[in-house]
Amino acid sequence: MRNSLALAIFFTALALTFPALAAAAGPLDAPGASKALVCSACHGFGGNSPGNTVPILAGMSPAYFKKAIKDYAEGKRPSPEMEPYSKYALQAGLDETAAYFAEQKKQPLRVKPDQNAVKRGMALAAQCTVCHNPQGEGDPEKGFPDLRGQPAGYLAYQMAILKDDKRKLQDATLDDLKKKLLKRFSSRDIADLAAYYSGLK
Amino acid sequence: MKNMTRREFLKASGIGMAVLGGGGLGGFAAETAGRRVVVIGGGWGGSTAAKYIRLLDPSIEVTLLEPNKEFVSCPFSNLVLSGVESIKRLTMRYDGLKKYGLRVRHEAAAAIEPDKRRVRVGNDYLEYDRLIVSPGIDFQWDQVEGLDKAKDTVLHAWKAGPQTVKLAQQLQSMKDGGLFVMTVPPVAYRCPPGPYERACQVAWYLKTKKPRSKLIVLDANKDIVSKTGLFKAAFKDYPNLEYRPSSKVEKIDVGSREVTTELGDKVKYDVINLIPPQRAAAIAVEADLVGADKRWCEVDHVTYESVKHKNIHIIGDSTIGLPVPKSGNIANAMGKISAAAVVHLLTGREAPAIAPGNTCYSWVNDKEAIAVVNAYKIENRKVVQIEQKLTPGKSVATAQNSLAWRSSIWNDILG
Repeated sequence: MRNSLALAIFFTALALTFPALAAAAGPLDAPGASKALVCSACHGFGGNSPGNTVPILAGMSPAYFKKAIKDYAEGKRPSPEMEPYSKYALQAGLDETAAYFAEQKKQPLRVKPDQNAVKRGMALAAQCTVCHNPQGEGDPEKGFPDLRGQPAGYLAYQMAILKDDKRKLQDATLDDLKKKLLKRFSSRDIADLAAYYSGLK
Repeated sequence: MKNMTRREFLKASGIGMAVLGGGGLGGFAAETAGRRVVVIGGGWGGSTAAKYIRLLDPSIEVTLLEPNKEFVSCPFSNLVLSGVESIKRLTMRYDGLKKYGLRVRHEAAAAIEPDKRRVRVGNDYLEYDRLIVSPGIDFQWDQVEGLDKAKDTVLHAWKAGPQTVKLAQQLQSMKDGGLFVMTVPPVAYRCPPGPYERACQVAWYLKTKKPRSKLIVLDANKDIVSKTGLFKAAFKDYPNLEYRPSSKVEKIDVGSREVTTELGDKVKYDVINLIPPQRAAAIAVEADLVGADKRWCEVDHVTYESVKHKNIHIIGDSTIGLPVPKSGNIANAMGKISAAAVVHLLTGREAPAIAPGNTCYSWVNDKEAIAVVNAYKIENRKVVQIEQKLTPGKSVATAQNSLAWRSSIWNDILG
């Protein structure tokens, strides 16, 4: 009798405690989550951007995220939108924000790329593998971005400004290489490459 | 994300079970206390706040009060006047919010009773533990002589919807060689660059479709209020646009189709677009949420709680005192930040100090846009601007970015 009473008290306490615990914790308890709320206007909740020209931050390598933010803040990557917001991220806490987005699960893109464009892009992509690796996964730790599953509009715009030399790479040899490579690509080639990489998982 | 349980949500959002113990027992006492939030106003601020409270803590009961069944985006509505955009593409329903398990009632809040913590809706009362008021703006009709009687035909089109469509029709049916007059209200008003974007859209339309027509902009302010240099450059493309600063309109006579400015200048028109002076919407004024100016609501910069009444948070265009524009993007940011604050305060925790951000695009013709972006930080519990950045000029790329921005932010508000 005493045992069953004790058990009843125990389970009642358990039942009362757990919903309370669940209620007290929440998505904002992840370090960086509250700092990233402002970003969701453009980059979507958890960094899964629904906009074609806005990069997906969910699952992004923290090293590459931090490099991108610093480059935007220093004006090395031109973007009237991201220059102020990168300073916000630096102010709010770069490590925590980077860790938050890295933890988020990347959702597949809503827009499916045109398959003919993908085929043409795949043939052209052979020239990009030196830096971005055979599957477009790059080497984010070393500053080579993972291109897979990023929106085509974003990829195409970055290639266009890299081609026009409005966005430079810090390493002079690499900058020279990207200029020579991208010069070969027409705007249709760039669109095809963007379609190809946006379709990769 | 359909009818997710809390656990599924946490899993989907990549937040492991490890954080579940993180809140400690502190939440228990708060759990037994009330967890009801009412949100007044389903615009850019209120819809965002209602959605994010449920997203951040699905154990809180949320009711959103919004009389309109459809959400019509004010951003991009100037493009409806020029025919560059359709009102249909700017119109959305509230169905997307259902999956978060919040109640949307398409009724207007009749009154707020701060002492009893309840909102009157018709003959019914909704009790709350925390109230978020995102009421938007109302017009000060009495500031322009003759306007109150003429407000059915003299359009503002400053709340996107039927007036936007009507003003577009008035513009389209104006004869070539006609004179379109628009007014810019004195600061503070909703969307600082909005009137100048509108001027560009009307001027572009006239230049393209009615080349003998003219546009006069009567600005109550001393100069262009926002993106000044960029708009001045944009206006150079429109010889049909005459911009007159320090020309506050004080009187309208619909019989003689004439407005009078504070300088005594009389200006005839064929079509008038009079954007009246503004203040916080009536419900905020009646609930004593406005300051001594009887126009705007002062709030705490971290929680958005009213400085006048406890447990009432105010967001969006009706607020004053923060160094931010009255923009949709700011209202959306305030929606999320106030949601985070309310979720924390209801569980007895301190609200996180989060600064808002602002991204604001203006289309200067049918395919090019300019932008201003503001970043902020919190310093000593106050919002402080870190930086303001303008685009170097107009561009198609900026216009394309604005389309990505709108699909993202509409989704952040209602999706």
